[in-house]
Amino acid sequence: MGKYEWLLFLHVTGAFLLIGGSVTAAALNLSALRRERPSEIALLLGLTRVAVLAIYAGVLLTIVFGLWLVSASPFGYGYGDAWVIATLVLWVYSNAAGGMGGKREDETRKLAERLAVEGDAPSAPLNARLRDPVTLALEYSSGLAIVVILVLMIWKPGA
Amino acid sequence: MTVASLCGPTCGAPLFVHVLGATLLFGALFAITTVGFASVRIVEHGPMLRRLAFTIMLAGVWPSYILMRVGAQWVLAHEGLDNDSVPGWVGVGLLVSDVGIVVLLVLTLLAWLGLRRQRVGVWFAGLAAVYLVALGVAVFAMSAKPG
Repeated sequence: MGKYEWLLFLHVTGAFLLIGGSVTAAALNLSALRRERPSEIALLLGLTRVAVLAIYAGVLLTIVFGLWLVSASPFGYGYGDAWVIATLVLWVYSNAAGGMGGKREDETRKLAERLAVEGDAPSAPLNARLRDPVTLALEYSSGLAIVVILVLMIWKPGA
Repeated sequence: MTVASLCGPTCGAPLFVHVLGATLLFGALFAITTVGFASVRIVEHGPMLRRLAFTIMLAGVWPSYILMRVGAQWVLAHEGLDNDSVPGWVGVGLLVSDVGIVVLLVLTLLAWLGLRRQRVGVWFAGLAAVYLVALGVAVFAMSAKPG
Protein backbone atom coordinates (compact mmCIF):
# COMPACT_ATOMS: atom_id res chain seq x y z
CA MET A 1 0.00 0.00 0.00
CA GLY A 2 1.34 3.39 -0.97
CA LYS A 3 0.96 6.85 0.49
CA TYR A 4 -2.04 7.66 -1.70
CA GLU A 5 -3.97 4.59 -0.50
CA TRP A 6 -3.30 5.43 3.16
CA LEU A 7 -4.41 9.02 2.63
CA LEU A 8 -7.55 7.83 0.84
CA PHE A 9 -8.34 5.39 3.66
CA LEU A 10 -7.99 8.09 6.34
CA HIS A 11 -10.03 10.56 4.26
CA VAL A 12 -12.82 8.02 3.63
CA THR A 13 -12.79 7.01 7.31
CA GLY A 14 -13.32 10.67 8.13
CA ALA A 15 -16.25 10.82 5.71
CA PHE A 16 -17.85 7.77 7.34
CA LEU A 17 -17.42 9.29 10.82
CA LEU A 18 -18.81 12.64 9.65
CA ILE A 19 -21.86 11.19 7.90
CA GLY A 20 -22.30 8.44 10.48
CA GLY A 21 -22.25 10.94 13.33
CA SER A 22 -24.68 13.20 11.46
CA VAL A 23 -27.09 10.31 10.86
CA THR A 24 -26.95 9.37 14.55
CA ALA A 25 -27.57 12.96 15.64
CA ALA A 26 -30.47 13.24 13.17
CA ALA A 27 -32.05 9.99 14.42
CA LEU A 28 -31.83 11.16 18.04
CA ASN A 29 -33.17 14.63 17.19
CA LEU A 30 -36.10 13.21 15.23
CA SER A 31 -36.88 10.90 18.13
CA ALA A 32 -36.74 13.84 20.59
CA LEU A 33 -39.31 15.67 18.42
CA ARG A 34 -41.78 12.85 19.06
CA ARG A 35 -41.40 12.94 22.86
CA GLU A 36 -43.31 14.95 25.45
CA ARG A 37 -41.48 14.25 28.73
CA PRO A 38 -38.56 16.64 29.30
CA SER A 39 -36.43 13.87 30.87
CA GLU A 40 -36.70 11.78 27.69
CA ILE A 41 -35.97 14.78 25.47
CA ALA A 42 -32.95 15.71 27.62
CA LEU A 43 -31.65 12.14 27.43
CA LEU A 44 -31.99 11.91 23.64
CA LEU A 45 -30.41 15.32 23.03
CA GLY A 46 -27.69 14.44 25.53
CA LEU A 47 -26.86 11.27 23.59
CA THR A 48 -26.17 13.38 20.50
CA ARG A 49 -22.90 14.37 22.22
CA VAL A 50 -21.58 10.89 21.36
CA ALA A 51 -22.43 11.60 17.71
CA VAL A 52 -20.78 15.01 17.92
CA LEU A 53 -17.48 13.35 18.88
CA ALA A 54 -17.65 11.26 15.69
CA ILE A 55 -18.54 14.40 13.71
CA TYR A 56 -15.55 16.31 15.12
CA ALA A 57 -13.20 13.44 14.24
CA GLY A 58 -14.75 13.23 10.77
CA VAL A 59 -14.48 16.97 10.18
CA LEU A 60 -10.77 16.89 11.06
CA LEU A 61 -9.92 13.77 9.05
CA THR A 62 -11.83 14.82 5.92
CA ILE A 63 -10.24 18.27 5.65
CA VAL A 64 -6.65 17.32 6.59
CA PHE A 65 -6.42 14.21 4.44
CA GLY A 66 -8.72 15.61 1.74
CA LEU A 67 -6.41 18.57 1.12
CA TRP A 68 -3.38 16.28 1.29
CA LEU A 69 -5.01 13.93 -1.21
CA VAL A 70 -5.45 16.73 -3.76
CA SER A 71 -1.70 17.37 -3.84
CA ALA A 72 -0.74 13.68 -3.60
CA SER A 73 -3.22 12.48 -6.20
CA PRO A 74 -1.78 10.87 -9.33
CA PHE A 75 -4.79 12.14 -11.31
CA GLY A 76 -3.65 15.75 -11.59
CA TYR A 77 -6.20 17.36 -9.28
CA GLY A 78 -5.50 20.93 -8.16
CA TYR A 79 -6.68 23.28 -5.42
CA GLY A 80 -8.10 25.56 -8.12
CA ASP A 81 -10.43 22.89 -9.54
CA ALA A 82 -14.08 23.97 -9.37
CA TRP A 83 -15.19 20.77 -7.58
CA VAL A 84 -12.46 21.20 -4.93
CA ILE A 85 -13.42 24.84 -4.30
CA ALA A 86 -17.14 24.02 -4.21
CA THR A 87 -16.44 21.20 -1.76
CA LEU A 88 -14.43 23.48 0.54
CA VAL A 89 -17.17 26.13 0.51
CA LEU A 90 -19.81 23.51 1.33
CA TRP A 91 -17.58 21.97 4.00
CA VAL A 92 -17.22 25.36 5.72
CA TYR A 93 -20.98 26.03 5.41
CA SER A 94 -21.88 22.58 6.73
CA ASN A 95 -19.66 23.00 9.78
CA ALA A 96 -20.83 26.53 10.49
CA ALA A 97 -24.53 25.68 10.13
CA GLY A 98 -24.17 22.41 12.04
CA GLY A 99 -22.23 24.16 14.80
CA MET A 100 -24.81 26.96 15.16
CA GLY A 101 -27.70 24.48 15.09
CA GLY A 102 -25.95 22.32 17.66
CA LYS A 103 -25.38 25.27 19.96
CA ARG A 104 -29.08 26.22 19.84
CA GLU A 105 -30.01 22.61 20.48
CA ASP A 106 -27.73 22.49 23.49
CA GLU A 107 -29.78 25.31 24.99
CA THR A 108 -32.90 23.21 24.37
CA ARG A 109 -31.26 20.26 26.14
CA LYS A 110 -30.44 22.44 29.15
CA LEU A 111 -34.06 23.65 29.29
CA ALA A 112 -35.26 20.03 29.09
CA GLU A 113 -32.93 19.03 31.93
CA ARG A 114 -34.24 21.88 34.08
CA LEU A 115 -37.87 20.95 33.37
CA ALA A 116 -37.13 17.29 34.10
CA VAL A 117 -35.97 18.19 37.60
CA GLU A 118 -38.99 20.48 38.12
CA GLY A 119 -41.65 17.76 37.75
CA ASP A 120 -40.97 16.35 34.28
CA ALA A 121 -44.30 17.60 32.90
CA PRO A 122 -44.80 18.27 29.16
CA SER A 123 -43.95 21.87 28.32
CA ALA A 124 -45.15 24.06 25.44
CA PRO A 125 -42.02 26.27 25.44
CA LEU A 126 -39.82 23.16 25.25
CA ASN A 127 -41.85 21.78 22.35
CA ALA A 128 -41.60 25.13 20.59
CA ARG A 129 -37.83 25.19 21.04
CA LEU A 130 -37.55 21.65 19.70
CA ARG A 131 -39.41 22.71 16.56
CA ASP A 132 -37.62 26.03 16.19
CA PRO A 133 -37.51 26.53 12.38
CA VAL A 134 -34.13 28.30 12.44
CA THR A 135 -32.46 25.44 14.33
CA LEU A 136 -34.07 22.83 12.07
CA ALA A 137 -33.10 24.78 8.93
CA LEU A 138 -29.49 25.06 10.10
CA GLU A 139 -29.24 21.37 10.89
CA TYR A 140 -31.03 20.06 7.80
CA SER A 141 -29.12 22.38 5.45
CA SER A 142 -25.87 21.23 7.07
CA GLY A 143 -26.82 17.61 6.33
CA LEU A 144 -27.85 18.50 2.78
CA ALA A 145 -24.48 20.19 2.19
CA ILE A 146 -22.73 16.97 3.22
CA VAL A 147 -24.77 14.98 0.66
CA VAL A 148 -23.86 17.51 -2.05
CA ILE A 149 -20.19 17.16 -1.03
CA LEU A 150 -20.56 13.39 -1.51
CA VAL A 151 -21.98 14.03 -5.00
CA LEU A 152 -18.98 16.25 -5.82
CA MET A 153 -16.57 13.62 -4.47
CA ILE A 154 -18.04 10.92 -6.69
CA TRP A 155 -18.59 12.85 -9.94
CA LYS A 156 -15.77 15.42 -9.60
CA PRO A 157 -17.33 17.70 -12.26
CA GLY A 158 -14.72 19.44 -14.36
CA ALA A 159 -11.87 17.15 -13.27
CA MET B 1 -6.79 -2.73 -11.87
CA THR B 2 -9.28 -1.88 -9.15
CA VAL B 3 -12.99 -1.37 -9.35
CA ALA B 4 -12.74 2.04 -7.71
CA SER B 5 -10.20 3.21 -10.27
CA LEU B 6 -12.50 1.99 -13.02
CA CYS B 7 -15.38 3.52 -11.15
CA GLY B 8 -14.21 7.07 -10.87
CA PRO B 9 -16.40 9.84 -12.25
CA THR B 10 -17.47 7.55 -15.14
CA CYS B 11 -19.23 5.24 -12.70
CA GLY B 12 -21.21 8.08 -11.09
CA ALA B 13 -24.66 6.88 -10.07
CA PRO B 14 -23.86 3.25 -9.09
CA LEU B 15 -20.90 4.32 -6.96
CA PHE B 16 -22.91 7.17 -5.41
CA VAL B 17 -25.74 4.81 -4.43
CA HIS B 18 -23.22 2.34 -2.97
CA VAL B 19 -21.24 4.93 -0.97
CA LEU B 20 -24.38 6.77 0.20
CA GLY B 21 -25.88 3.47 1.38
CA ALA B 22 -22.65 2.45 3.11
CA THR B 23 -22.28 5.75 4.97
CA LEU B 24 -25.95 5.73 6.01
CA LEU B 25 -25.60 2.11 7.15
CA PHE B 26 -22.55 3.05 9.22
CA GLY B 27 -24.51 5.93 10.73
CA ALA B 28 -27.59 3.84 11.49
CA LEU B 29 -25.43 1.15 13.12
CA PHE B 30 -23.59 3.80 15.11
CA ALA B 31 -26.99 5.09 16.26
CA ILE B 32 -28.29 1.69 17.39
CA THR B 33 -24.98 0.94 19.13
CA THR B 34 -25.16 4.24 21.02
CA VAL B 35 -28.84 3.80 21.89
CA GLY B 36 -28.29 0.11 22.74
CA PHE B 37 -25.53 0.78 25.27
CA ALA B 38 -27.49 3.73 26.68
CA SER B 39 -30.50 1.45 27.23
CA VAL B 40 -28.32 -0.85 29.33
CA ARG B 41 -26.81 1.96 31.40
CA ILE B 42 -29.89 4.17 31.88
CA VAL B 43 -32.39 1.65 33.19
CA GLU B 44 -35.29 4.06 33.85
CA HIS B 45 -35.40 5.02 30.15
CA GLY B 46 -34.48 1.53 28.91
CA PRO B 47 -37.86 0.65 27.36
CA MET B 48 -38.01 3.93 25.40
CA LEU B 49 -34.43 3.51 24.17
CA ARG B 50 -34.98 -0.13 23.14
CA ARG B 51 -38.10 0.90 21.20
CA LEU B 52 -36.02 3.57 19.49
CA ALA B 53 -33.31 1.01 18.63
CA PHE B 54 -35.94 -1.26 17.07
CA THR B 55 -37.35 1.65 15.06
CA ILE B 56 -33.90 2.65 13.75
CA MET B 57 -33.27 -1.00 12.86
CA LEU B 58 -36.35 -1.09 10.64
CA ALA B 59 -36.35 2.46 9.31
CA GLY B 60 -32.60 3.12 9.09
CA VAL B 61 -30.40 0.04 9.10
CA TRP B 62 -32.31 -2.17 6.65
CA PRO B 63 -33.06 0.51 4.01
CA SER B 64 -29.45 1.73 4.02
CA TYR B 65 -28.16 -1.85 3.85
CA ILE B 66 -30.33 -2.48 0.77
CA LEU B 67 -29.13 0.78 -0.79
CA MET B 68 -25.48 -0.17 -0.15
CA ARG B 69 -25.89 -3.73 -1.46
CA VAL B 70 -27.87 -2.72 -4.56
CA GLY B 71 -25.23 -0.05 -5.28
CA ALA B 72 -22.45 -2.63 -4.91
CA GLN B 73 -24.12 -5.03 -7.35
CA TRP B 74 -24.81 -2.14 -9.74
CA VAL B 75 -21.09 -1.18 -9.68
CA LEU B 76 -20.09 -4.79 -10.40
CA ALA B 77 -22.59 -5.01 -13.26
CA HIS B 78 -21.41 -1.65 -14.59
CA GLU B 79 -17.85 -3.00 -14.69
CA GLY B 80 -18.88 -6.35 -16.15
CA LEU B 81 -17.76 -8.28 -13.07
CA ASP B 82 -19.57 -10.97 -11.11
CA ASN B 83 -19.09 -12.02 -7.50
CA ASP B 84 -16.58 -14.74 -8.48
CA SER B 85 -14.22 -12.56 -10.51
CA VAL B 86 -13.54 -9.67 -8.18
CA PRO B 87 -10.27 -8.53 -6.60
CA GLY B 88 -9.60 -9.64 -3.01
CA TRP B 89 -10.43 -6.28 -1.44
CA VAL B 90 -13.83 -6.29 -3.14
CA GLY B 91 -14.27 -9.83 -1.78
CA VAL B 92 -13.76 -8.49 1.76
CA GLY B 93 -16.55 -5.96 1.18
CA LEU B 94 -18.85 -8.63 -0.27
CA LEU B 95 -18.10 -10.95 2.66
CA VAL B 96 -18.87 -8.28 5.25
CA SER B 97 -22.07 -7.30 3.46
CA ASP B 98 -23.29 -10.87 2.84
CA VAL B 99 -22.55 -12.05 6.39
CA GLY B 100 -24.19 -8.79 7.38
CA ILE B 101 -27.61 -10.09 6.32
CA VAL B 102 -27.42 -12.78 9.02
CA VAL B 103 -26.07 -10.29 11.57
CA LEU B 104 -28.83 -7.79 10.77
CA LEU B 105 -31.48 -10.50 11.04
CA VAL B 106 -30.14 -11.48 14.47
CA LEU B 107 -29.96 -7.80 15.48
CA THR B 108 -33.56 -7.28 14.38
CA LEU B 109 -34.65 -10.33 16.40
CA LEU B 110 -32.71 -9.09 19.45
CA ALA B 111 -34.18 -5.59 19.06
CA TRP B 112 -37.67 -7.08 18.91
CA LEU B 113 -37.03 -9.32 21.94
CA GLY B 114 -35.56 -6.28 23.70
CA LEU B 115 -38.99 -4.62 23.61
CA ARG B 116 -39.99 -7.10 26.33
CA ARG B 117 -36.75 -8.29 27.93
CA GLN B 118 -34.27 -5.81 29.31
CA ARG B 119 -31.28 -8.16 29.49
CA VAL B 120 -31.31 -8.71 25.71
CA GLY B 121 -30.14 -5.10 25.36
CA VAL B 122 -26.54 -5.90 26.18
CA TRP B 123 -26.35 -8.61 23.48
CA PHE B 124 -27.97 -6.27 20.99
CA ALA B 125 -25.55 -3.42 21.71
CA GLY B 126 -22.54 -5.77 21.72
CA LEU B 127 -23.41 -7.38 18.39
CA ALA B 128 -24.13 -3.98 16.82
CA ALA B 129 -20.70 -2.78 17.98
CA VAL B 130 -19.01 -5.88 16.52
CA TYR B 131 -20.69 -5.35 13.14
CA LEU B 132 -19.73 -1.68 13.25
CA VAL B 133 -16.09 -2.78 13.56
CA ALA B 134 -16.58 -5.24 10.67
CA LEU B 135 -17.91 -2.38 8.57
CA GLY B 136 -14.76 -0.44 9.50
CA VAL B 137 -12.68 -3.32 8.14
CA ALA B 138 -14.72 -3.22 4.92
CA VAL B 139 -14.15 0.54 4.66
CA PHE B 140 -10.42 -0.09 5.02
CA ALA B 141 -10.48 -2.78 2.32
CA MET B 142 -12.60 -0.71 -0.08
CA SER B 143 -10.60 2.50 0.28
CA ALA B 144 -6.98 1.38 0.86
CA LYS B 145 -7.36 -1.69 -1.42
CA PRO B 146 -4.55 -3.75 0.18
CA GLY B 147 -2.99 -6.21 -2.21
